[in-house]
Amino acid sequence: MASAGSDRRGESADVLIIGAGASGSLAAKHLSENGFKVVCLDQGPWVDNKEFAGARPEWELMAQKRWHPNPNVRDLENDYPVDTSESDVNPLMYNAVGGSTILWAAHWQRFMPSDFRVKTLDGVADDWPFTYEELEPFYEQAEEEIGVSGLAGDPAFPPGKPLPLPPLPIGKIGMKAAEGMNKLGWHWWPGPNAIPSKSYRGRNACVRRGTCLTGCPEGAKASMDLVYWPASLKNGVKLITGARVKEVLVNDRGLATGAVYIDRQGRERTQKAGIVIVCANGIGTPRLLLLSTSKRFPNGLANSSGLVGKRLMMHPYAAVTGVFEEPLESWLGPAGQTIQSMQFYETDKSRGFVRGAKWQVMPSGGPLGMRAAYGGRPLEEAWGANLHRNTKRVFGHAFEWGIIAEDLPEESNRVVLDPKLTDSDGIPAPKLIYKNSENTKKLIDFHLARAQEAMKAAGAVSMTITPLMRDCGWHLMGTARMGEDPASSVIDQWGKAHDVPNLFIYDGSTFVTSSGFNPTGTICAVALRCVKHLIANRRDQEIAA
Amino acid sequence: MSTGLNDDDRKTFAGIADVLIPAAEGMPAASEIGIQGEILDKVLGFRPDLRENLLRGLRAVKGKAAREAAEFLNKTDGTAFGAISLAASAGYYMDPKVRKLIGYPGQENRPYNADETPEYVRNGMLKVVSDRGPIYKPTPK
Repeated sequence: MASAGSDRRGESADVLIIGAGASGSLAAKHLSENGFKVVCLDQGPWVDNKEFAGARPEWELMAQKRWHPNPNVRDLENDYPVDTSESDVNPLMYNAVGGSTILWAAHWQRFMPSDFRVKTLDGVADDWPFTYEELEPFYEQAEEEIGVSGLAGDPAFPPGKPLPLPPLPIGKIGMKAAEGMNKLGWHWWPGPNAIPSKSYRGRNACVRRGTCLTGCPEGAKASMDLVYWPASLKNGVKLITGARVKEVLVNDRGLATGAVYIDRQGRERTQKAGIVIVCANGIGTPRLLLLSTSKRFPNGLANSSGLVGKRLMMHPYAAVTGVFEEPLESWLGPAGQTIQSMQFYETDKSRGFVRGAKWQVMPSGGPLGMRAAYGGRPLEEAWGANLHRNTKRVFGHAFEWGIIAEDLPEESNRVVLDPKLTDSDGIPAPKLIYKNSENTKKLIDFHLARAQEAMKAAGAVSMTITPLMRDCGWHLMGTARMGEDPASSVIDQWGKAHDVPNLFIYDGSTFVTSSGFNPTGTICAVALRCVKHLIANRRDQEIAA
Repeated sequence: MSTGLNDDDRKTFAGIADVLIPAAEGMPAASEIGIQGEILDKVLGFRPDLRENLLRGLRAVKGKAAREAAEFLNKTDGTAFGAISLAASAGYYMDPKVRKLIGYPGQENRPYNADETPEYVRNGMLKVVSDRGPIYKPTPK
């Protein structure tokens, strides 16, 4: 592929990447080390890990605002608002270099073979255009690059290459949960995490501070600003922060030519490129495509199927928290998962629903988090002497079995442009229309009942049930799905838009189904498979001259 | 930055904070650790977004007895009550004496040896899981 021109002063680039999160960061690194001139735009800033409050007393106080994962609560200038008035779940994300990996818990999961063949096995949703086996080498490479800690041999997955780092400690909470699972004869395994248990490729080892979800002050966790950006900048990638993209541009031939963005001084700028790759997450990507209308694409870019924004999947999350007599030091990390279970992951139709869920044990944080939901209840129930009694009984003595429910794709669950709400630059904000299906409700009921059994077997003296956590939409998937048929998908298996031959999408919006797993490992593996294909086929790639 | 709280506001806050967090179960009352002074300033410094709701609540109940004030806000202005109760409990649990009493060292750095064979491997707990064999469905042919 010939260079589209100089990238100096924003004139043009071989490749423009929109979004410096997991997939965009990975793509920038691989393209740049293969000689592509890359410009990456991100609406957020760099975040210095000294800003994270995890090692300071105000950690929990700051977690409820500055480092809250819900952009509507956090309300920073680099965030965009999301209308959730018609959604069962709030979306969670972070806008900065590194994207939502700044605040992710770094649970590193592969999908299972069955996840790629849901239609064939269960008669619902669709099959992916490739199999687990085809993706496996890319999982392995991504795990090596990102630095995943874990133990080989989990019988819930096909055998494979061991992870590059030994597992993190599972702590007293993991041991306690595992004892319960063994009593029942149920599956458990130490959880793999993209958190190095030893110093790894310039990152420090995890110190178990347990504050992964509010940013890692140690510079250990695999946030992509630390994993990929140092090398990408060395390779000459031009990363423009504070750049809010409002439109992907196309020419008369129907090729993408770059994007228009607004900088933090409010100036509108254009970045030209031969190829455009959108990596703006399962909400940001459809928002941008729907904003990018033209004579040729009046319903939004790459939307001839009408599927852009549809089939939103966000993984409803439920939990059972158990309280134990003995002290479990349950503020200790990683957070990060200590152990996981796939006992009830695969479909068993006798349960009355299809598909399943992954379970995970996570620490329960400090004493303030326990107070978060107390408003509105009678004073004496939550406060007064009961406050002290409850703190002594629960704090440090509790852990959670979290349940990530597989969310099947439905066209009625979708991202649309809000007719009124805008971001601080006046660009229409996204609105979510998202309801849990009957299958999901039955699935969650079943898993909550089993998780209570697991807690009881582990010796819990009391339990709290959370049937659906509203602030749980970490996993944004499905809104620009991949597939072979342009009538029923937005992109092909290599991330290329059916309608626009030099427009690619690499983020979670491409997912055909959601699985019941944390998706970042698969986002990275799929992005790696796509970008390596693009690099290998560069000579045949059509570009905007 | 000034918090804009006057002495009356701080007195009202201390009263409500003591209703929420009294001396009991071997723990000090909120006012005993000085919740209404520097601690409150510190909390509002970290969370300036709480100030407006907190002040509105405190001024709405000025002159009421502390328990009555707390009950009133809990029933009539959840946002103000939320700001006041969060400021009180956050300040309380940030205090080193309180942390010591509940056995919380904060989110600490806890050393470990990643090369050590984990206990669940040494004692055979995990082996029983692997011995049961694979539980995944392979890719259909």
